[in-house]
Amino acid sequence: MPFTTLNGRKYHYQQTGSGPDIVLIHGVTGDLSIWFLCRAMQILSVSYRVTAYDLKGHGYSDAPAEGYTSADHVEDLFALMDHLGVESASMVGHSFGGVIAAHAAVVAPERVRSLVLSDPYFPALRHLEDLSRWGHWEAFRQEAEEAGVTLSDEHWYDVGKFFDQVVHLDGEKLLMFRRAVGLPALGRLIRLGKTTCGDDTKVEAGLTEEKIAGIRAPALAVYGENSPFLATSDYLVEHLVDCRAEIVAGAKHRAPEENPEGFLRVLMDFYGLENVESAGARNQDDSGKVIKV
Amino acid sequence: MSELTSARILGDLEEILRDFHGREYSGAFGLETRFFADLGLASIDAVVLGEMLEGRYGQRLPFGDLMATLGSREDRDLKIGEFVEFLETHLAGPKGRG
Repeated sequence: MPFTTLNGRKYHYQQTGSGPDIVLIHGVTGDLSIWFLCRAMQILSVSYRVTAYDLKGHGYSDAPAEGYTSADHVEDLFALMDHLGVESASMVGHSFGGVIAAHAAVVAPERVRSLVLSDPYFPALRHLEDLSRWGHWEAFRQEAEEAGVTLSDEHWYDVGKFFDQVVHLDGEKLLMFRRAVGLPALGRLIRLGKTTCGDDTKVEAGLTEEKIAGIRAPALAVYGENSPFLATSDYLVEHLVDCRAEIVAGAKHRAPEENPEGFLRVLMDFYGLENVESAGARNQDDSGKVIKV
Repeated sequence: MSELTSARILGDLEEILRDFHGREYSGAFGLETRFFADLGLASIDAVVLGEMLEGRYGQRLPFGDLMATLGSREDRDLKIGEFVEFLETHLAGPKGRG
């Protein structure tokens, strides 16, 4: 199993294919398996060298107590790229992984050839978002309530408050939550909840609005049709030098899981892989399958 | 070298999954056992297991396709029986660890 030690911590990564480099970055509470489940790893590697890794605190990587801002993750990302001999790469980041990718483009633009930003929400752009635009918010809050976790309009963006509740669940509420998310997810959340990850994802860490708007790498903003963060998508298209948007039908915040076929088609189009169907990509409709994780 | 029969593959899987990266499983183990719901594993464990099995059997296997099948179907769990069938289909008999 490919592991490496970066900045004193163990990191798990997977790499396959050959050609120009693409790095795939998952979001908070996820892991690199998302890129296998949506076939990005398999299809992109037909023409590219593709690297996916577990962020610190996630998957099979170590979980230090602190160091989870996007700036911290960018340090890890560049250390991994150095270790693997990846001078520059196109970055695909989902959710907070998109924030990390964008932050990497700000810190070292020469190392980021292009960006695919899948449904990121940026702390510096929080003022843009309006919960009332998220038609599924009430249903989402109800699901969380039934799982023993309380979400509020006021702190909807606060992953730290969410983790704090999970870590302190007990008795019936713990059982409710375990039933809702499953044992592995519970274990992951508790491990992560004991770190500063939740609070760290709320801070700008140097990725200010001005710096986001100054990103010059060609970018694609990919958002779910029912994403809560569509205002951010509009902002990116309006303010970045070279950014267009794609919408994934039927998806909310997790397009790679909620409509993997639709998400993959967007990636294939961006990377000029329209003709890879013969290599195994399935051709299905945009039905927007919703898969519960 | 002996053929990799489904019984032998099942035995290999049981040996690995009874103590997978420090997580012990003492319940019933058979073709109907579910990877996620019963063994308490997650999709990232499937990635790691796939790599372990490639090392054990000495050949590349299309685990990515198996993962993608899971990602696109309604029931995302995987029965050990399905996993055994997948391995039996793709393992080239005598090329196994013998």
